[in-house]
Amino acid sequence: MRPEPAERLPRVLALVLPELPLQRALRARSAHGQLAVVEGDRVVHCTAPARAAGARPGDSLVQARAACADLAAVPLEPAKDRAALRALAEALLSLAPAVEVAFPDSLLLDASAAGIGGGTSEEAETGLAERALALCRSLGWRGRAGIASGKGPAQMLARHGAQEVVRAAPGEAARALARLPLTALQLPSGMEARLAAVGVTDVGALSRLPPETLAHRFGPAGAQAVRLACGEDPRPLVPFAPETFPEESWDLEGTEVGVLESAEPVLFAVKRLADRVATRLAGRGLGAGRLRLTLGLYPRGEERLDLSLARPSADAALWLVPLRERVGNLRLPAPVRELKLSVVEAAEVPAEQLVAGDRPEATRALEVVLSRLAARLGDVSLLAARAVDRHRPEAAYQLARFEVPSLHRAPGEGEEGDPGGGAGPVSLRPTRLLRLPRPVVAEGEGGRLTVLRLDGCAHGVVALAGPERLAGEWWSQPFDRDYYRVRLEGVGDVWVYRDGRDGRLYLHGYFD
Amino acid sequence: MGAASRQREVLEELRRQIHLLERKPARRAGVLPSGRPEVDALLPGGGFPCGSVTDLVGGPASGKTELALRALREAQESGAFAAYVDGRGELYPPAAVALGIDPARLLIVRPPAGERGGGEACREAMGGLWAAEALLASGAFAAVAVDVSLRPVPPRRAEAMLRRLRSAAEKGGAAALRLGAPRDPSTPAALRLELSGAERSPAVRLVRGSAAGGEGEGDAA
Repeated sequence: MRPEPAERLPRVLALVLPELPLQRALRARSAHGQLAVVEGDRVVHCTAPARAAGARPGDSLVQARAACADLAAVPLEPAKDRAALRALAEALLSLAPAVEVAFPDSLLLDASAAGIGGGTSEEAETGLAERALALCRSLGWRGRAGIASGKGPAQMLARHGAQEVVRAAPGEAARALARLPLTALQLPSGMEARLAAVGVTDVGALSRLPPETLAHRFGPAGAQAVRLACGEDPRPLVPFAPETFPEESWDLEGTEVGVLESAEPVLFAVKRLADRVATRLAGRGLGAGRLRLTLGLYPRGEERLDLSLARPSADAALWLVPLRERVGNLRLPAPVRELKLSVVEAAEVPAEQLVAGDRPEATRALEVVLSRLAARLGDVSLLAARAVDRHRPEAAYQLARFEVPSLHRAPGEGEEGDPGGGAGPVSLRPTRLLRLPRPVVAEGEGGRLTVLRLDGCAHGVVALAGPERLAGEWWSQPFDRDYYRVRLEGVGDVWVYRDGRDGRLYLHGYFD
Repeated sequence: MGAASRQREVLEELRRQIHLLERKPARRAGVLPSGRPEVDALLPGGGFPCGSVTDLVGGPASGKTELALRALREAQESGAFAAYVDGRGELYPPAAVALGIDPARLLIVRPPAGERGGGEACREAMGGLWAAEALLASGAFAAVAVDVSLRPVPPRRAEAMLRRLRSAAEKGGAAALRLGAPRDPSTPAALRLELSGAERSPAVRLVRGSAAGGEGEGDAA
């Protein structure tokens, strides 16, 4: 047995999802009965209750149903299995710098950086494996883990190891693999039987053979099998890079659930989807800015809910607040047979270092309430004002979508331009501006304004200041106004202007 | 058990305890200064009570909006957020900025045209009141000004919504300032200030102070 050159090989954590197509089929069901995954009319995988009743992988469906009358069958769908594996890889990106998707049922994580946080490499690598398995469980998957130097040895340990997590220390892979059966090497057809015929029945026996002999007998595959048996697999990881935003769906047709008829179970299902989407998004360091929930209705039609979030977030609990609001207010015209939650917009979520005095819970409370309001009123209702350099009073500011400021943004920081705009001294501006100026009637004596009639009521003029001339925009919509601040008896201070174009007086605001 | 595992466990425990401490925004207590010393002197406790609703009642140019904006500025001074539910769509932000408000930390809520359109003024008002309730209960704001006309809302519904506003303020700990006309129904509130802008500077009159420090009346100008 030749030890592998451990220093050259990457440390790899392999996660294997046994019977992945069956696991995927079971994820959509709340009760696990007698179920088989079939390819054509052949059973590929079946559940333990189905096995207990006599069904076996490899049986024809007729044979399996003869043994197990209540056997439900779902077709093998490799494309969906691959998509599920990619989705899990996306979530695992939160644990490792690189993840490779190894079809049909494995994910390979770069474990080289596991020890950076301190502790021995054994503790760090085992801890990484346990976290990865816990994440799998949280997403409804059951896995096994193997850690070794090189992809092949790690996969073999995960698939055939005696425990849920099996680790081979650097330089110890050959020893760890030695007791595994030859099938662990996934040799080309015929090779395993020919080796067995000469007494080579486990990986350890194969590793003791000279590679030249195997190469002479079986060609390059033979030499490669010996290298792998010795724990040598120098292939680098091929990192997975997701190209689209995550999306999770749940097709209830064919499951024992059937359809959902009210908001409460829909919300329960949405929570499940939200958890999955959020975990995938978090793995990529992204947060959703906009989500879309599509409810497929029975027998046809769909309801679509678009949801804007106050700030990009990968926190499913935060999404659920507005989702609950929207779904709760929904009048479903028909039962729901399928749900799909997709991320429409996403952005990087920068990590923020907390310092003394920060109140992240307040920021979270703000995000939650903004998301609730946006869901009910639309995000066009949640506004922050920004000054604009215009003389026309009603154009001297802009209302833009309210953004949650950074945790460490000091009050006043980041404001643009002159806060009062270009319309003169802001202290002379009213606190209320009418959407549409209202004509007023003026009465006077000896050239002096004495009474203003507002909405038919006469109010004596107590004091008057002005005029302040505001004019401009001759190139588009010219205006020419003389503004006065007028104190009216029984009312208070109002802002009126005489329009230079028609000579009339208009009430434009209140100094309330 | 290795040192790293122990360290991880300690960190997990600390995180759990911090989470327990932080799971709800801190409930504010005390009072919010009004930004006008003569008004503070009139108010029981020296400011608008947190976790309660104060009605600022007056005509269209009585100075109630300016008083509310000054209080929102005071709330921002402590680093908190403030909100203004602009149900009438009349708030003029340049004036708020001139009073010292940080516009980036002032949330202005204006119900969309759909909520106010179609002659359904009641729905518009209810949307604004619902938003105010959500903001007050959230605990994310130190002060919330509510400028929503109650005129289109049937009296019973208005009373119910005002009671909900009070409960939301109690829950979230924010100082709620409800701007209203003299004939609007009163919130079951701690305070009611009547403002009159007919004089040189707005006159303020405390008419009711049941929860914050006993019944009382007083004037400031």
